[in-house]
Amino acid sequence: MDRAGIRQLIIDWLDDNHHFGDAEDLITSDDISWIEHGILKSLAFVELILFLEDNCHVALPRAELTRENFDGMNKILRKLEESGARLG
Amino acid sequence: MSIHQVELWFFLPVMLVLYWLGAGRRLWQNGVLLVGGWLFYWTWNPTLLWVIVAATVLDYAIGRFIGTEGRPESHRKAALALSVIYNLGQLCWFKYIGWFTGSFNDLMTALGFEVSAPILKIALPLGISYFTFGKLAYAIEVYYRRSPVCESLLNFATWVAFFPQLVAGPIVRPRQMIPQIEVGRRPTAKMFAGGAQAFLLGFILKAYVADWLGPNIVDPIMSAPTDYSAAMHWLAVVGYGLQIFGDFAGYSLMAIGLGRLFGVELPENFNFPFLSKSMMEFWRRWHITLNTWLFDYLYGPLTLSRGWWRGRLDLGFLVVFALCGLWHGAAWGFMLWGVLHGVALVVERRWGEYYKTLCRKDRVWVKRRKTRVYAFVAWALAQSWFIVTLIPFRIHDVGNIAGYVQGMFVSAGSAVPPGLESLRELQHFAVILLFLVVYHLTQTRLGGWAWGRFQAAPAPIRGVAYGLVLVYLFIYVPLSAGTFVYANF
Repeated sequence: MDRAGIRQLIIDWLDDNHHFGDAEDLITSDDISWIEHGILKSLAFVELILFLEDNCHVALPRAELTRENFDGMNKILRKLEESGARLG
Repeated sequence: MSIHQVELWFFLPVMLVLYWLGAGRRLWQNGVLLVGGWLFYWTWNPTLLWVIVAATVLDYAIGRFIGTEGRPESHRKAALALSVIYNLGQLCWFKYIGWFTGSFNDLMTALGFEVSAPILKIALPLGISYFTFGKLAYAIEVYYRRSPVCESLLNFATWVAFFPQLVAGPIVRPRQMIPQIEVGRRPTAKMFAGGAQAFLLGFILKAYVADWLGPNIVDPIMSAPTDYSAAMHWLAVVGYGLQIFGDFAGYSLMAIGLGRLFGVELPENFNFPFLSKSMMEFWRRWHITLNTWLFDYLYGPLTLSRGWWRGRLDLGFLVVFALCGLWHGAAWGFMLWGVLHGVALVVERRWGEYYKTLCRKDRVWVKRRKTRVYAFVAWALAQSWFIVTLIPFRIHDVGNIAGYVQGMFVSAGSAVPPGLESLRELQHFAVILLFLVVYHLTQTRLGGWAWGRFQAAPAPIRGVAYGLVLVYLFIYVPLSAGTFVYANF
């Protein structure tokens, strides 16, 4: 999996939809919780997962689609890696 | 018996003494909680105790079945379906059967058929909407292997029948409570102080705020609106918003406080919803445990499914909030209320999409969204929508709803509700409003600082302050206070 490429894709999505250029600054660490730091509101997780499945050519397991599993960059990348995500 | 009535002051001390006599001993403590919970349930309606007992045993057995390693997937799925059908079937039978048959009769009459199905009058089991959703969450979580199976029937039954949350929630997920009661609990001073403080605050919101606003402002106006002026119509709706906040947030805090007295931390259910600047934010602050339940088990699975529903976010809002309305009660008014909230979320989402296009073109729009003017307008719109949509929530008959809305603009009545009749009542009203304002000011920087200073003050000072509040409450609050609005849901 192209980890750096997918990370940038997620940052671009955050910028394009929520933070308009500020996303990289808000994510001070890939380990921080996005809910706690106000980076993503709970309802936007559905939009994020739809985006990831469509753009990373992956079908994330239904059982793992919880906010906790996608609450932070490293958590998202880990789940994508486990599911065989790819770019392009 | 309910958790704000006089009977509790006899029940609670006995429970606490028995419970803490076995400090650190799980079997004893859970046994006391279970017997107490079922006794609490029995006092509400002795003939319906079987409802919670049967549902508990069935879901415990289903959980064990689903969670067993090596079980064929088709068997697990069938067991999950059984749990869903039983739980929702039970809810429909007790809560909606009368409404279904009544609506069917109305429809047949409207179509010109002479059909009249008998309408059953069935007593609603206490807290059925709350423990049903809790148990459904358990079955789903175990099915997806997100939560471990609860091996002990005693622990499982204790979670379902934990009496502080029986009347009106919060909806407690298995992973929020079961791990806490799988070990013995030992008392700490902090636990008791935190519990007493939450209970007292909840009691003020319920017995002082909600139970005064109902009979003195809201009920008189809403039961005979044509007697009152347009301004009084508005006052009653705003008063109702404050009343149900006091009622439900108050109950939730009392439940959290009681939970702490037994060493159990229940989830937060309200987070200052009157500070919300959008309806999405409102639903992250109001009845949080229901909102997150609907999001996790309905909205998310629906809109992320592989089929037709995938990505239909707006339709998902409408459906989920229509069901959210129905969850509150079997009436078209509740459903209308839910749909109106769904519509608000759709409009907000669409507005958000449009605003994104502006932000992409020019970053000045990002800055504008952070200004005080934008925040104030957004806050006013969200709060106004919440207040106005309470009309169908409170008045279920569609014809009366239209009449009430008309009265908000044109009404020749001149009556005055009891809450505004005398100087003493006016003072009472003013103190309630002041309390609510101060309560919300604790969320500002200055208010938070002041509250933090109070919390850090020596115990005797805090004790005197709490004592004065209690004396005031004993003087002014009738201990025969009414039931909880949300207990009927």
